[in-house]
Amino acid sequence: MDAPAVRADGLTKRYGRTVALDHLDLVVPAGQILGYLGPNGAGKTTTLRLLLGLIRPTSGRAEIFGVDAWREPVRAHAHLAYVTSDVALWPTLTGGEVLDLLGHAHGAVDGALREELIASFDLDPTLRVRAYSTGNRQKILLIAALMTRADLLVLDEPTRGLDPLVDQVFRTYIRQARDRGQTVVLSSHELSEVEALCDQVAIVRAGRLVEQRTLAELRQLSALAIEATFPGRPPDLRGVPGVHALEVEGSVLRCQVEGSIEPLLRALAEAGVTRMTSREPSLEELFLAHYDRADVPAP
Amino acid sequence: MKTPTVPAGARPARALVFTLTVRRTVRSGALWGAALGLITATSALSYDRVYPTHALRLALARAFGSNTMTIALFGPAPHLDTVAGFTSFKVSLTLSVLASLWGLRAATGALRGEEETGRWDLLLAGPRRRVATTAQALAGVGVGVVVLAATCALVTTAAIRSPASGLRWTQVLGLGGAVLAAATTFAALGALTSQLDATRHDATTTGVVVLAIAYALRLVADAGLGLHALVWASPLGWVEEMAPLTAPSPVAAVPVAIWAIVLGAAALRGARVRDVGAGLLARDDRRRRRRRLLTGPGALTWRLGSSTILRWWIGITLGAGLIGLVARKAGSTIGGSSVRDVFSRLGATTLGTRAVLGVASLILAVVVSLLAVGQVAAARAEEARGHLDWLVASRVSRVRWLLWRLGAAAIALGGVGLLEGLATWGATASQGAHVGPTLLLEAGANLLPPALTLLGVATALYGLWPRAAVPVSYGLVAWSLLIVIVGGIGAISPWLLDTSVFHHMAGAPAEAPRAAANAIMCAIGLVGIATGVVAFARRDLVAT
Repeated sequence: MDAPAVRADGLTKRYGRTVALDHLDLVVPAGQILGYLGPNGAGKTTTLRLLLGLIRPTSGRAEIFGVDAWREPVRAHAHLAYVTSDVALWPTLTGGEVLDLLGHAHGAVDGALREELIASFDLDPTLRVRAYSTGNRQKILLIAALMTRADLLVLDEPTRGLDPLVDQVFRTYIRQARDRGQTVVLSSHELSEVEALCDQVAIVRAGRLVEQRTLAELRQLSALAIEATFPGRPPDLRGVPGVHALEVEGSVLRCQVEGSIEPLLRALAEAGVTRMTSREPSLEELFLAHYDRADVPAP
Repeated sequence: MKTPTVPAGARPARALVFTLTVRRTVRSGALWGAALGLITATSALSYDRVYPTHALRLALARAFGSNTMTIALFGPAPHLDTVAGFTSFKVSLTLSVLASLWGLRAATGALRGEEETGRWDLLLAGPRRRVATTAQALAGVGVGVVVLAATCALVTTAAIRSPASGLRWTQVLGLGGAVLAAATTFAALGALTSQLDATRHDATTTGVVVLAIAYALRLVADAGLGLHALVWASPLGWVEEMAPLTAPSPVAAVPVAIWAIVLGAAALRGARVRDVGAGLLARDDRRRRRRRLLTGPGALTWRLGSSTILRWWIGITLGAGLIGLVARKAGSTIGGSSVRDVFSRLGATTLGTRAVLGVASLILAVVVSLLAVGQVAAARAEEARGHLDWLVASRVSRVRWLLWRLGAAAIALGGVGLLEGLATWGATASQGAHVGPTLLLEAGANLLPPALTLLGVATALYGLWPRAAVPVSYGLVAWSLLIVIVGGIGAISPWLLDTSVFHHMAGAPAEAPRAAANAIMCAIGLVGIATGVVAFARRDLVAT
């Protein structure tokens, strides 16, 4: 398939006067894992529901492997499987029966993989859905999606409610899926999970896409975190080009530097630095850097 | 350190659950109470107009005063030559059933419904005990019951202030008491079923089954079979025995009070001993995999909906059979030109068994229409709960899913028409009434056009305005019934009568089905279905 796994052109969704998604342009190449990030209400779930053809775009279009998601949903869905954290399943069916049903609805299932997934996720498929915990209901959906070996996995906060052990199993299978050439769109608030799994990150804010890059590109464009220790009181580095976010705690100074690091190194050497560490920013720091501090509620 | 939001020494809101429940039940109680009051007042005010002469009133009394079939269906009919007697006969049982349903739903909603959503987990995590929380919710429902009854009485009083109306305020007060008794009885039942069952759906269904049994017991008790003592075995029978408009009997309130106290206490005991989120009745949540009917949306529709359809089929068959059993005896009591006039006002053009079956066809048509609307309600529930997302996110076309749903509705309706005809034929034949099977199968089929119209309207609403589809559609059934009850006896303008689908249905087998009207109703239904399907294909899926 030459077409990208996902293509959104000017995708817009309005509910009355509320703009849930505003002219989103997004391309996810086949075989990659895209982390789709944004705060609550930014438009992540709206995007995914548009990609699935569950809601109608106000304008623009969404394509799955070149097939219009709204006009030809059945053909588009032949390529994808979907998981969400809002687990509403048929309460009187057992977990195994839900897997049967969703397998039939998708059309093709790897039976051996299904049994392997049931064992790996430690799911008892003989219980009725109403008797499962939230995490176990989530496992049903993950198994249902993975057992199809769909070309595209659309995952909306798929690990909410899962314990860390199951989370590790999930990561293993997602990496395997990518290695097999499957594409994954992963919307999540678990930034460590996105950092561990994703090739690319797209950040959406107030219905608009504000960034889409690989993690490496994002890091290159972002500030470097520095921690330096001095024999006495740290020097005042406020005038050094590129330095900001200065914090002093005793003889330890922390700051971030953008652009060339040379002026900072010179200033530190002149002040007699005894120890210095530098590290690239975490995804959480990158994510927060795209939002005004005012958007983050006070603790 | 920050100043605490809650000042030191402040007490937690002790009556929080009570307040929340009252807020929820008072509005609904007032609305339902007003509707019940309007039904009563309309009936009372129409009497003078429809039966202006003494001769007509006597004819009415002769026609229905000792007619076992109508008494079995609607309750006793004493003093039909008075406004109070007429109103009692026309509305008492309807009011009892509606108030019972309100009480049941209010209790299961306030108790099991709130618990099912997980909101009680939050409340019980605070300084509250389960029994006290349950008691507060019950007290809140109690306030709603009082509001329901008071509003019914107030609206009735306001509407019949004219002395010509013929109802005294003490009678209206008694009527309010009967509504209070019916709602209390089934609210108490709902409180208990909420402890027994783990979901609101199950708790309400159990309550509705008890209501159906109560109705059947009362029906047999009033059917002139020498079993009148059975009336004391039915909660609806107790309310009937209160007879506030004709022969007030406060003694009949005693079993209501005992029932409410016993069931209320049992509910509180149940709340104390069971786990939050679970029911007292053990459920087997583990079973072997059953692969049948999981191959797609059509199969799933049958797997999840067939038991409901089967219950409807059994209910309609039993109902039609009961009517058929008493129809011959009831029909034999009808005679004379004045009585014929009374029956013609109810839509029958013949006398005897066929006339009785024709009049009873209205009730069956209402039930069949409820089944039709219920199928659309089930589809909407599937969408609102998010289940539909999983199917259409795979390779299932949403249009195909809806067509399967509508196909199931068509089969359900077709089966109902057939079973109604066969059950009536079997029952009437067993009593020696000679009404041919063809005629009765035709009468069964005649119930379907109004149901198809309402199915079409409900489907169109589902496609265009999903959140309103269910309440508006059920409202249309209620409206159509109300209009045809009041209008069928000449108390309403013709254009208003035309808004009722049941008005356009012939009272078969008392009269021949109206081919043209049936064709138009079917056409409206099909246009509605087509509109709904097209709109559904073009709209967003909408959660709760």
